[in-house]
Amino acid sequence: MNMNMNMNMNMNMNMNMNMNMNIIETSGLGKRYGSTWALRECSLAVPAGHVAALIGPNGAGKTTLLNLAVGLAAPTAGGVTVLGGWPAGSLAALDGIAFVAQDTPLYRNLSVADMLHLTRNLNRRFDQASAEARLAELGIPPKRKAGKLSGGQQAQLALTLALARRPRLLVLDEPMAMLDPIARHDFMATVLTAAADDGVSVVLSSHVLAELERVADYLIMMSRGRVQVAGEVDELLASHRVLTGPAGEADRYAERPVVHVRRGGAQAHLLVRASADDPVPPGWEAHPVGLEELALAYLREPGAAALPGPARGRTLPLETGQPSEVTQ
Amino acid sequence: MAIDKGNGAPGGGAGASPASGGLYSDQHLRVSDAEREAVSGRLAEHFAAGRLDRAEFDDRVGRAMSAKTRADLRGLFAGLSETGAPAVPELPRGGGGTPGGGPRGPGSPIEFRLDAASGVPTYLQLVQQVEHALRLGYLKPGDQLPKVRDVVASLAINPNTVLKAYRELETKGLTAGRPGQGTFIQATLSQVALPELAGLRKSLLGWLTTAGAAGLDQDGIVALFTSALRDFHERRGDTGDRRGAASGETEGVA
Repeated sequence: MNMNMNMNMNMNMNMNMNMNMNIIETSGLGKRYGSTWALRECSLAVPAGHVAALIGPNGAGKTTLLNLAVGLAAPTAGGVTVLGGWPAGSLAALDGIAFVAQDTPLYRNLSVADMLHLTRNLNRRFDQASAEARLAELGIPPKRKAGKLSGGQQAQLALTLALARRPRLLVLDEPMAMLDPIARHDFMATVLTAAADDGVSVVLSSHVLAELERVADYLIMMSRGRVQVAGEVDELLASHRVLTGPAGEADRYAERPVVHVRRGGAQAHLLVRASADDPVPPGWEAHPVGLEELALAYLREPGAAALPGPARGRTLPLETGQPSEVTQ
Repeated sequence: MAIDKGNGAPGGGAGASPASGGLYSDQHLRVSDAEREAVSGRLAEHFAAGRLDRAEFDDRVGRAMSAKTRADLRGLFAGLSETGAPAVPELPRGGGGTPGGGPRGPGSPIEFRLDAASGVPTYLQLVQQVEHALRLGYLKPGDQLPKVRDVVASLAINPNTVLKAYRELETKGLTAGRPGQGTFIQATLSQVALPELAGLRKSLLGWLTTAGAAGLDQDGIVALFTSALRDFHERRGDTGDRRGAASGETEGVA
């Protein structure tokens, strides 16, 4: 891992120890609802110690994958292990994972204090003091009913309950969908502080591409029930460039690993799999690519894939031949 | 339970209101879980309002939760008034940097900011801000950089990003980590003595005048200087140098 622990940051020791394991690992994982495959042939290995973002259009299979990982659903095919090898849904797995579902479900008629009380009694481990301190910091009144809290406070309460279980993996399904910008910022600050303080690994699904660049250091992109891209953000960014040049020459690169083409009358932009060291063709300019641009390009090209080395047998990152074109 | 119902102020019986019932002391009565939690709740409100620091809060909540009789609950609200100014100054204890309020950057003279539109990677923005602060004198050797968790809490960014920036600064020899304390500035960025700097500046101004007279505008001058600087580094063979590699926005080939 690219983490240098002689740096004495306030990192907890357990971060060190978990660094080499996979927090979620799937092989040939599939889930079928009726005749529809919500997830197919999913093989992933998400290393511990990351904040991993799971993105993809609606219906791509994100929630299905998360539900399988936390043990809320059973796979139709293949398998999934968590926390370094425990089968999803096993006692050890349940104990070490906290999951906040899409709509941050709470008992609306229970007070905040009662929600804490309930959660404490339903779990083997619950850090009451830290939960209370966190809610106090956030200014969430213990007596108020959960249903009367603002959307941001409800999300923070659900997150507080999840973190008080002291999980090693925190799974969040669309945590920010309903939140205003300040609430989103505060929510993610809490999540990331937990990652910094306790070494909690985080997997979150999101539609908010713009914020992922600051938040995520591991990216999983899905489309149509399949994993399209998976890898560390730094590596993905370092292995992609945008080439800008004359539109007439754009087709010359169709055989190279072009992910996405944007073409005007005279000028074209190609998002290609290439590093900074790769030669740039004469007449073309190469630019580094940001996470949002990269994600958008892949989202527009569901056929293109960039999977890490261990996905054997894939030398060319394109699964299908020709990228389709979007004319500007 | 009695306290939860009917009594507007949670834990009222435990606080400074011995006169509520009045006829005989209730101090020997055993306290219920509900009362303990009500007291904790009120302490939490005081903590939220900044009237208690974290350590004091933890201590008082601990006493409340282990209280057996009403007598044990006495004094838990000592020094706390609902209206007055904070009895205890808020401590800059990384305590989660009140989301939104930003951390109080204990001991660090600088505070990071992010420009999402700049296109510069986040870790590099942090590195550049430290370098900039060093050049401008906001940071001096011995100064502490903001703690990782405080940066994370205030900017809502990935901790690994901050670690990467701090690692880069350490690699450059600008900072050093002290176990258990944090990251501290070790070097300055202006290695050249002041008189020499003045001379260099003078000759550069002369060159700028020539460039301006030749018709170069500011962008043209920057482009020319950047390109010459790159050539200079390449010729010296230190292309791996941080600045050359770091600030490459566009490696254009015309």
